[in-house]
Amino acid sequence: MRKYAGIAVALLFFAFSISIFIQLIPYDSYEGSAYHYKNPINGSVANESVPSHYIKETRNETGAVNAVTAIVVEYRGFDTLGEVTVLFTAATGVSFLLYQLHKKMQRREANLITKEGSKIVLPFALLTGAYIFIHGHLTPGGGFPGGSVIASGFLLMLLAYPKFFVNEKRLSYIESISGSIFVIIGLLGLLLATSFLQNFIPVGKPGHLFSAGIIPLIYIAIGFKVGSELSSIVQKLKEVEE
Amino acid sequence: MVIHPVLLIAIPLITAFIIPIFKKYGAAIAGGAIAFNMGYAIGIFFHVYSNGKIYETIAGFNPPIGIFLAIDSLSALLALIINLFAFINFVAIGKEANYKFSMLYLLAIAGSTGIVITGDIFNMFVFFEITAVASYALIAGKKDKKALEGAIKYMVLGSIASSFILIGIALIYSQLKTLNIYDIAARIASMDAKIKWASFAMLLTGIGVEAEIFPLNGWVPSAYQGASEGVASLLSFAPSKAAIYAIARLMLVIFPFHATYEIALWVGVITLLIGELAAFMQEDVKRMLAYSSIGQMGMILIAFSLASQDLKYALIASLFLIVSHAASKSSLFLLSKSEKMHGMASKYAGIVSVLSLIGMPPLAGFWGKWYLMLAAMDEKLWLVIILIFFAGIVETAYFARYLHRSIGNDGELSLRYKATMAAMASFAILFGLLPLVYKIASLPLWGG
Repeated sequence: MRKYAGIAVALLFFAFSISIFIQLIPYDSYEGSAYHYKNPINGSVANESVPSHYIKETRNETGAVNAVTAIVVEYRGFDTLGEVTVLFTAATGVSFLLYQLHKKMQRREANLITKEGSKIVLPFALLTGAYIFIHGHLTPGGGFPGGSVIASGFLLMLLAYPKFFVNEKRLSYIESISGSIFVIIGLLGLLLATSFLQNFIPVGKPGHLFSAGIIPLIYIAIGFKVGSELSSIVQKLKEVEE
Repeated sequence: MVIHPVLLIAIPLITAFIIPIFKKYGAAIAGGAIAFNMGYAIGIFFHVYSNGKIYETIAGFNPPIGIFLAIDSLSALLALIINLFAFINFVAIGKEANYKFSMLYLLAIAGSTGIVITGDIFNMFVFFEITAVASYALIAGKKDKKALEGAIKYMVLGSIASSFILIGIALIYSQLKTLNIYDIAARIASMDAKIKWASFAMLLTGIGVEAEIFPLNGWVPSAYQGASEGVASLLSFAPSKAAIYAIARLMLVIFPFHATYEIALWVGVITLLIGELAAFMQEDVKRMLAYSSIGQMGMILIAFSLASQDLKYALIASLFLIVSHAASKSSLFLLSKSEKMHGMASKYAGIVSVLSLIGMPPLAGFWGKWYLMLAAMDEKLWLVIILIFFAGIVETAYFARYLHRSIGNDGELSLRYKATMAAMASFAILFGLLPLVYKIASLPLWGG
């Protein structure tokens, strides 16, 4: 009975969602006076919509050629600080709740191809991850995918070698320091410019590696943080499984 | 501006980040950060109290382009309550806290504070996530079966709630291309009617899970029962208050329509009745307090829905109810550690809290119910008034039973623990006597 009621509710919800989403306007239409935004501080109405502002002004205002990165790290950098914190909270929660079971169980060794292959792949995985987060303001990618690629390299090692482990203390130090650097960059913005997370160093020439002000610095911090966090979660889960 | 509200979030975050390096002193560092936050929240409260609403832009962009923090009397009072009780509560439980508990506690406080001071709806969602994830871990932290049951129920409902909030925000963005709460409010009329109502439904459902509103509150009794006393106390003053604030913003600013008012009013009445009746039937003290919290949240929702109709007493009523509920419930949850109240301090805390909750003059709870009645009379909602009276009688009955059972002399609470409970309960008296709430309710709100 409960099962059928559940199915009925789910179908109703599905139909409701379809009926809404079918009405949504296409994503690329953001021109027109209906989208002109209003500044809530002084009540002035602008002559453009928020997305068109991002598309037109990103290069001048932030010096980044990758508009997505500029939105994620500059315009909405506070949200990104929050998202980094969500991941950090989840990692802390996992380590707070999981406790080690001291059972010595030998896992089977992985086969030769995995073992030798992961040795070759690991440095490339680390290099690719670092490349992705260092070039976040120039090419698609950034701190979160870069960190995940680094963590996947360690996951591969954990799978191939049962006895492999990453130094727990070092991971947690990297995590702490890179997280603090993010907040400190924000506070320096408050100190040297006018507001939290504001850019306080020259933006340079758009398209060059040393450009876009604080964006690459923040993305490097995020890359280290995400990489070490995900690696430590993976390692914790492996310890419990044993 | 000299005041930087962003520090209320930045300082707890950086502290939580560096605690793993100084494991040994984790609880002490966390205590320092919470003390800073409390002082800063008090400063901001009195600044807003004398100068009116303030704002702070983030990353130097003007609001709809960047994020901004918008603080008016409502958010200043809530930030004050959250940070003040967070500090007092941490004094009681900080001694047995390890460094990971302290980190999660700090993150939950930073998240709740973020919800009440931000002026951006997506930013609010991010802070909801931080608060919720920290709360799951804190509830499960007791590591017995009941704690895990509560945490898992909360986690499942909370994750679904998050996706509802996100879809609601996406629907609004698809139409208005903005995420700023006050920009949305200014242009809500140009939204397609169907999508407007769908986004309201999604946001109310999602935030309602956190705000303990019927029928979305299945997790509440198990979570409060399973959590340790300090965490139950935290849940009753931080995440739930922040979530009811978010609903108030929805009601007062984004969707100030007659239909939304009626929906919220009747949802509130049903939540109140079901909470109080269920509390009456509970044997376990923590479950009883949890159901009673549900009832109180229903009453606060009634007050906010009346406030959205510009009734002058309703906003005063809701602020008094929030203060009274935060002070009384956090004190009673701490008290539930021992079976009996023993010693002067804990008897004082228990009795004052109960009297404020059932509405005895001149405590804060009395003024809350009094002005709620006045506001409802202005609107001629006689049925609502009768139902609130009925809920009050049920509430008095089970709290009388609770007092009868728990006044005694055997127990083993430390002096510090008892003193913190008494301090929390005292705020119900203090806010009842001081004219702070009247002044703060008369100040202009953002988007008002």
